[in-house]
Amino acid sequence: MTDVRAPGPDALDSPAQQAAAGPAPGGFGPAGWLKWAWRQLTSMRIALILLFLLVLGSVPGSMLPQQGADPAGVQQYFAAHPALAPLLNRLGLFNVFAAPWFAAIYLLLFASLVGCVVPRTFRLAGSARALPPRAPRDLARLPRSAQYATALPAGQAAEVAARFLAGRGFRLRRPEASGGADGPAGTWVSAEKGYLREAGNLLFHLALLGVLVSVALGGLFGYKADRLLVQGDTFADTVSALDEFHPGRLVTAADLAPFTITLDDFTASYIDSGPQAGQPSAFHARLSYTARPGGPVRGYDLQVNRPLPVDGAKVYLIGHGYAPVFRVTDARGQVVYDQATPFIPGSSGNFLSEGVVKVPDARPEQLGFTGVFVPTAVDVGGTLQSAFPAADNPVVSLIAFAGNLGMNSGAPQSVYQLDTAGMRRLSATPLLMRPHQTVRLPGGGAITFTGYTQWVSLAVTYDPGQLPALVCAIAALGGLLLSFLVRRRRVFVRARAAGHGSTVQVGGLTRTDASGGFEAEFASLAAELRSAHARAASQPATPVPDHPQTAEGE
Amino acid sequence: MFRAKRRTVVVAAAAAAGAAVAVLLLGGWTGGGGSGETHVDGSADAVLYDAGHRPLAPDFTGTTLTGSRLSFAAYRAGKVVVLNFWGSWCVPCREEAPMLAVLAQRYRPAGVAFLGVDVRDTTASAEAFARDFGITYPSVTDPGSVITLDFTSAVPVAGTPTTLVIDRTGHIAGAVFGTASYGELATILGAVTRS
Repeated sequence: MTDVRAPGPDALDSPAQQAAAGPAPGGFGPAGWLKWAWRQLTSMRIALILLFLLVLGSVPGSMLPQQGADPAGVQQYFAAHPALAPLLNRLGLFNVFAAPWFAAIYLLLFASLVGCVVPRTFRLAGSARALPPRAPRDLARLPRSAQYATALPAGQAAEVAARFLAGRGFRLRRPEASGGADGPAGTWVSAEKGYLREAGNLLFHLALLGVLVSVALGGLFGYKADRLLVQGDTFADTVSALDEFHPGRLVTAADLAPFTITLDDFTASYIDSGPQAGQPSAFHARLSYTARPGGPVRGYDLQVNRPLPVDGAKVYLIGHGYAPVFRVTDARGQVVYDQATPFIPGSSGNFLSEGVVKVPDARPEQLGFTGVFVPTAVDVGGTLQSAFPAADNPVVSLIAFAGNLGMNSGAPQSVYQLDTAGMRRLSATPLLMRPHQTVRLPGGGAITFTGYTQWVSLAVTYDPGQLPALVCAIAALGGLLLSFLVRRRRVFVRARAAGHGSTVQVGGLTRTDASGGFEAEFASLAAELRSAHARAASQPATPVPDHPQTAEGE
Repeated sequence: MFRAKRRTVVVAAAAAAGAAVAVLLLGGWTGGGGSGETHVDGSADAVLYDAGHRPLAPDFTGTTLTGSRLSFAAYRAGKVVVLNFWGSWCVPCREEAPMLAVLAQRYRPAGVAFLGVDVRDTTASAEAFARDFGITYPSVTDPGSVITLDFTSAVPVAGTPTTLVIDRTGHIAGAVFGTASYGELATILGAVTRS
């Protein structure tokens, strides 16, 4: 069996892995060590360890509050654990996905995967092009073999076998020294089929690389952003107009798709009765948008799971809520605030929403209000609750403050939080208001609950790697299926002169026969080959006249 | 022969991975620097663009807080203009507002015009702001950040406050991204009004 050399190692272990299994270089110098380290890095084992570390590294990201997603939670954690929090912060555990150690893990994993997949791709490409090996000397020692005598001379028998196997789609290899020399070992044909397996393998590995590149593409050039948009308002897709902006590493402010979106109207429908009462039945956000400044204005009915595709980006409807409209006049009688103020739905359900009104330019003192908006207000034992998400009986309840909002200097503030440290409460009881009601404030001024409107929150995502990643994933799956379903198998035929005719030996082997069936395939091939030989022998001398080999055989 | 081949493959893979890593690492540092600009007073956020590297300011028309139409080209009329992107809700804008009010008074005799772009704001709040801080120059409203978007193709306006200084030919000669100081703007204006 010494001759039956597999054309390459089994596709499941890379050369790097085989090398890694070998001894570490004893005295190879820095270059040797570097090569050894590279082989270790690109081994399957290290890749799996890195993948595990990546998963392990993400755990604190889900257990501890994260700077990007929940800055308030981080502050609370610092307040609650004054000794532990700075230590965790030094380790980057409050911003895990930006921590250097996390970057180190994924960069190593990326290098490991690339280092594993690229050489394997080259090897598979070579393997898919390779000719079958020469026929072994003794075919009877192969896993499958058959032997029979034919009246044809050895050279002609080999020729018939070659034609037969070529007709069955086998790739052939004949002795290099042409002329069909009838040495003591006779002449032979090597045939191989199932190259689609290697092609599938190749496709799988290339597609895997494609997925990596696509993900990198998305990470470098993609962005995600959120924007809360009140009915009637417009926003342009530029950094200052976005509430949250998470750009890829190579995204600059000028790279954003320059579209503009106006929310013309938003309707949310709810189920009125039955056990599902209060559940939403439909959301429609009617938008007008322009893909670029000065472009034509188009309309779009934005729904959940029906994003707006615009200039390569996608805009999703991800939330909605109420925005009560307030007008505030200060003690001088000046209108200092008149706008819809988005309130955020709380956890108590039915869109009981909380919000803040800040009036930094009221005089003589700045004014601030915290409040709740109740779309369908009911009094349950003295507390205000919302009975239904639609605004059937809207009420707001406000607590008024006067003093210093802390807005004239210092750190930027959230529009949803009121810093009451420098303020005093103006009234002991909350101000309860229905639409169009006005309440006078102690110390002058007044606030009017003019009415309410609605807002939607939109997510803008741009991921140039999304489509390539999908295509590559499908290709990878297809390649994997091909490599599983197609069997690579070899058939060898050797003819030796014996008496007036020759002895034909047929041998077959397959490298992987997970799905079985090669035994039957070989048996029928051998039988058909035998009858082909018998047919050729029974036809008296019908050689191609100018074929030297057959002429010589006669 | 086989060994040699494998080695080249490993080297090629190392090069490919190295390039990928380099791209990922360098990603964090691109976008900054570049020639054609000078930092003002050692601040990374205040820049003076060299002549020949000054982006052309886009033209725009808008509605002022008092409700009249304003065309930037007509307002500019060959003067140096300080264009300030602000909002009454924006803490650093409130911080720099008293300085801008003073600066506008000081530079009026030199023929420097000031114009505000009031971003994501309402007229009531913006007028109260202008009254409060004694801002006498006009502002155009930009509730949808559309004017801001026009400018991002010229300079990286990433939010409020941003202050641009536009020279007599309508090119952006200097910019302060973030809270501007009197010194920074005076330096930029000095360079621009001299030229």
